[in-house]
Amino acid sequence: MIGQLPRAATLGMAGCHTCGKASPVAQGVCPRCGSHLHLRKPQSIQRTVALMIAAAALYIPANILPVMTVVELGDVDATTIVKGMVTFWRSGAYPIALVIFTASILIPFLKMVALTWLCLAASGKLHPSPSLLGKVYWFTELLGRWSMVDIFVVGILVALVQLGNYMTITPGPGAIAFAGVVLLTMFAALSFDPRLLWDRLEVIRLEELSLTKSSDT
Amino acid sequence: MPEGTAAMCKCCGAVLYQNRCASLARATAFSITAMIMMVVVHVFPFLVMDAASIRTSLNLTSAAMALIDEGSPILGVVLALFTIVAPIALASGLIYVCGPLIFGRVAPGAMHVAKWLNRTEPWNMVEVFLLGVLVSLLKLGKVAEVHFGYGFWAFCILMCCMAAAVAGIDRDELWDRLEVAKKS
Repeated sequence: MIGQLPRAATLGMAGCHTCGKASPVAQGVCPRCGSHLHLRKPQSIQRTVALMIAAAALYIPANILPVMTVVELGDVDATTIVKGMVTFWRSGAYPIALVIFTASILIPFLKMVALTWLCLAASGKLHPSPSLLGKVYWFTELLGRWSMVDIFVVGILVALVQLGNYMTITPGPGAIAFAGVVLLTMFAALSFDPRLLWDRLEVIRLEELSLTKSSDT
Repeated sequence: MPEGTAAMCKCCGAVLYQNRCASLARATAFSITAMIMMVVVHVFPFLVMDAASIRTSLNLTSAAMALIDEGSPILGVVLALFTIVAPIALASGLIYVCGPLIFGRVAPGAMHVAKWLNRTEPWNMVEVFLLGVLVSLLKLGKVAEVHFGYGFWAFCILMCCMAAAVAGIDRDELWDRLEVAKKS
């Protein structure tokens, strides 16, 4: 089905990143909303990779350092994300342990894997189908925000549990690192341009076309 | 395209454009409700906890302030941005853009506001905060007795309204209507 219609980029038409209106890229500025026009998001892959490396670096302290410190009757207990999840699992709260595992550990990790995969495919090092990758991209964009749940839990607990000598909770350094992971992966997903995946398909199609032509002659 | 129908991409089958029923009126109405609920959320306590004969109560601002006071100002600001600023910006922006559009008018600067609406949308984390509330309730279950305040129920309604307001209007449709209204 691709190839029956010309693609916008070959006609010099750019879809506005903000409002979606297609106008000639030579105009420079979208006539409808005034945003800058680009055929594709500028330096999309470089930006995504850079943000993702930063996120991957923060992923380690986010999981090692304590996200909050509970002081109960003089006992200091620093909990990490994994420790909090294990406590839930041991006490029999399996569904909530699974929710925390998915939101805090699995989603950030899968997101980084998915974005690496997308960047590799967009730069031509892998050749899976773009419609599958499009779904992968949509998924990473949709799920990323749910990882913030742990930060919100820390905020709620710190605000509620201020019981003087009996029990207090303070946020730990791991929470900042974790918030950094979530924010950076969200920015990474936003700076990725899924149209690059379809561009790659066009290149492959043209290569195949030229191959069949050369074998004909 | 008739109201209540959608166009699909021939290439990958994704939805291209949807003309949803009474989209502008719906987006405005749900956004106004969300704003009213936002006031309720801030006036009434969100959660009330009784432990060791001390009663502490939580609302959105106090959660953010507690993080700032306890040595994590960045987290406090992040929490306030995602649960207070982003929903208010989104709801008020939708009212400002969609309200006048119902009558075929464009509010001054509506194009800029609409541009910012696109950008704030992914940062509105009302529903994620609600999941956070549920997780913390389970964590506190052993330590203390926690009650829901009116703020909590208002926040639930707020979440539904925000979802309905954002889902009720198609982005491309909104831009098309803005353009048409501006020309006339």
